[in-house]
Amino acid sequence: MSNKIKSISDLQLMFHRNERPIYFISATNFNLLGIDRWVNRFRYISYIDCFDGRHPNVFVPSESPHAEFSSIEDINNYLLQHKEVIDLIERRGGKPVATFLMFDEKTEALAEELGMDVWFPPAKLRQRCDNKMETVRIGNKAGVFSVPNALEKVDSYQHLMQIAERNKLGRDLVVQSAFGDSGHTTFFIANEDDFNKHKDEIVNDPEVKIMKRINCRGATLEACATQSGTLVGPLLTEVVGAKELTPYKGGWCGNEVFPGAFSEGVRQKARDMAERFGNQLLQEGYRGYFDLDFLIDQDNGEVYLGELNPRICGASPMTNHAAFAYADAPLFLFHLLEFSGVPFDLNVREINERWAQPHFIDSWSQVVIKYTEDKVDQVTRAPATGIYRLSEDGTMGYQRYDHERRAIDSEREAFFLRITGPGDYRYEGADLGILITRGRSMDDNFKLNIRARDWIRGIKNHYDGKPIVTTQHAVAPAPGSFKIL
Amino acid sequence: MSINVSFHAVSEDQPGEKWQAIFNRSWPGYRAWYLRSGAVGRPSYLESRRAIREHMPELVPTWERLVGLAGGGDVEARFLSLWCPPPYIAGCAQAVWIDPAGTQEPVLLRNYDFAPALLEGDWMATRWTDPRNRVLAMGDCLWGALDGVNEAGLSASLSFGGRTVTGAGFGIPLVLRYVLEVAHSTAEAIALLQRVPVHMSYSVTLLDRSADWATVFVAPDRATEVTRHKAVTNFQHAVEWPEHARATHSPQRLAALQQQIDQRAPLQALADALLRAPLYQSSWLRGYGTLYSALYRPLSGQATLLWPGDSWAQSVTTFEEGQRKVVYPAYT
Repeated sequence: MSNKIKSISDLQLMFHRNERPIYFISATNFNLLGIDRWVNRFRYISYIDCFDGRHPNVFVPSESPHAEFSSIEDINNYLLQHKEVIDLIERRGGKPVATFLMFDEKTEALAEELGMDVWFPPAKLRQRCDNKMETVRIGNKAGVFSVPNALEKVDSYQHLMQIAERNKLGRDLVVQSAFGDSGHTTFFIANEDDFNKHKDEIVNDPEVKIMKRINCRGATLEACATQSGTLVGPLLTEVVGAKELTPYKGGWCGNEVFPGAFSEGVRQKARDMAERFGNQLLQEGYRGYFDLDFLIDQDNGEVYLGELNPRICGASPMTNHAAFAYADAPLFLFHLLEFSGVPFDLNVREINERWAQPHFIDSWSQVVIKYTEDKVDQVTRAPATGIYRLSEDGTMGYQRYDHERRAIDSEREAFFLRITGPGDYRYEGADLGILITRGRSMDDNFKLNIRARDWIRGIKNHYDGKPIVTTQHAVAPAPGSFKIL
Repeated sequence: MSINVSFHAVSEDQPGEKWQAIFNRSWPGYRAWYLRSGAVGRPSYLESRRAIREHMPELVPTWERLVGLAGGGDVEARFLSLWCPPPYIAGCAQAVWIDPAGTQEPVLLRNYDFAPALLEGDWMATRWTDPRNRVLAMGDCLWGALDGVNEAGLSASLSFGGRTVTGAGFGIPLVLRYVLEVAHSTAEAIALLQRVPVHMSYSVTLLDRSADWATVFVAPDRATEVTRHKAVTNFQHAVEWPEHARATHSPQRLAALQQQIDQRAPLQALADALLRAPLYQSSWLRGYGTLYSALYRPLSGQATLLWPGDSWAQSVTTFEEGQRKVVYPAYT
């Protein structure tokens, strides 16, 4: 297409008529669920078949023996070397495009060997931006500030206290290392005993982020930095550390989006910060989709930059299915546009203003259900992906197959995307599946509400497991081996 | 107890139903062998394809056809590339006979010493790579070769080199297949062996229609060495793996073979020696009995398999399908 993209309808037409095969390669297709509806020739290549073969655009190669995976990058690198995947990509021809949730330099080399363009900034640059220290620095440059902090190497508790005093951070601190999954590398330190518990992790890092501890609530927002400016999605609440969902204290386990989740002031502040941060990312050479976590100080309403996920993430299905996405286009389409090489000139300010209006945001929530028991077994029965219905007595039953959440009729229905299926192992921290519902899953105190707890219990009741026989121990994954999303 | 093994002569110009039957029969065993360390360390399909495309491009169309006949799976394709397979070792003895009287054509002789249960026993006549170059070879690893002769007038045979070192390279049967498919002379074969990486140490003896010959030592960690050894067993220059040499009587076998060569023995005497101790090995139950002896005459394209009291002759021009049952009198 030689014509410049000047409007949303140009953008929709462009992807409606897209002829380049575009792939999302990941453990599951969860993060970009539904994008295949918007982009012609879009396919998912997954490791786990959440749909039992019923999703028309999901390709899952038959299992080939492989070394144990320790990350999503490992899974993607396995997939890109699998004969059935290579056959599919080569059979479909064209000049294929790869998108990922996670990838490393090996992934990039494999994609290149297969003649695929990776439509994301280089892994090396992503890695740099993902570093929590670097995020603070990029934010500072853009005037997007983090919770009062110091970035330094720490030798001892005494040294930590000196740094805190010098930077006026108080004695109640939060320390984070450069990289790490939610809830795994954030240490709350109020005294020397707390410090000693995490001492090795802290003193062995060349630099850690030392923050003043504030009474905060987390929020997350996805945006997309393009040459026409930074598009900003809605501010989402985060479900964190719910014991029904995750064994990890402080671990991310879902999101909600609804108008009025945050005060107008907070929302406006976060949107401005994201826009400025996105524009700074462009200066750093990074472009496209990103996710920012915000920390909102409950005591004074201050909004701080939390973390940067320089990628699509677990919150992406919320953003890409909010009302504005159906009114205009999902945010990820702008990411694809940015990398497509097609010239465009969009009025990003106008789009952002429209998306900021409350009626462009409807109310949805998603929760990631992990196995929370401290044992390992093998699943004998699991709920299939599809639409479930909650009856008046609180019990839950399978209603019908679907692979899209928009088919949900009311708050009494929910879409469940199954990850752990029959024959798989359940271990502490294993992702069982993701439940998407209309309406909220938390109450005003940001605890799971009764309906959400009914849903979670209902899904878990559809699982049965049997003890694993000793000889299979070698293949059972270690608890908490890694997260899928 | 005795062990019964069937040898099959199979003629199929292009890979088809006959090869597929061989695959179906042997694949479960090969799959288990290929994956025996849980596939950790076995290269991916992409790496395997990269290797075969880079080092043996002429074999790629055949490899792809075979993979298709094998069902098109990932593990099948990786195995059939024979890129970095699990280590394997065998016995074997090889010799080049040049008529001292100068009247008879030159002959490549060999004993194949291995476990009977692991012998495919498919003596295959194919025209896989070049329709004008029929290859007659004893099959191994489903499309590799242990020894054979081609229509262009080159014969080749392999034996284990007696070293435990492994590295990034191809399983030797596929390298020998490559040599027989592509090379027309000893000189061309040497050039291939100098270029293609192998994953363990082997000695490859080559003899062509013009009586040019060589024994080539290939290894993953050393440069290919072209030698003028007329006889070889399972060590190169000196014993480097004493336990293996002891178990397979490698020095004694070489001495017996070399003696025949040094005495300028007639062909029949050399062939007889192959069927007699110490060259003839009877440790079938321990995994290194002599399974067959073979004589290749690259000038006339003749090939003969020998067993005590039996023989089977074929040639690249007139190859007839058939079957031989061989009984190894293995005693516990």
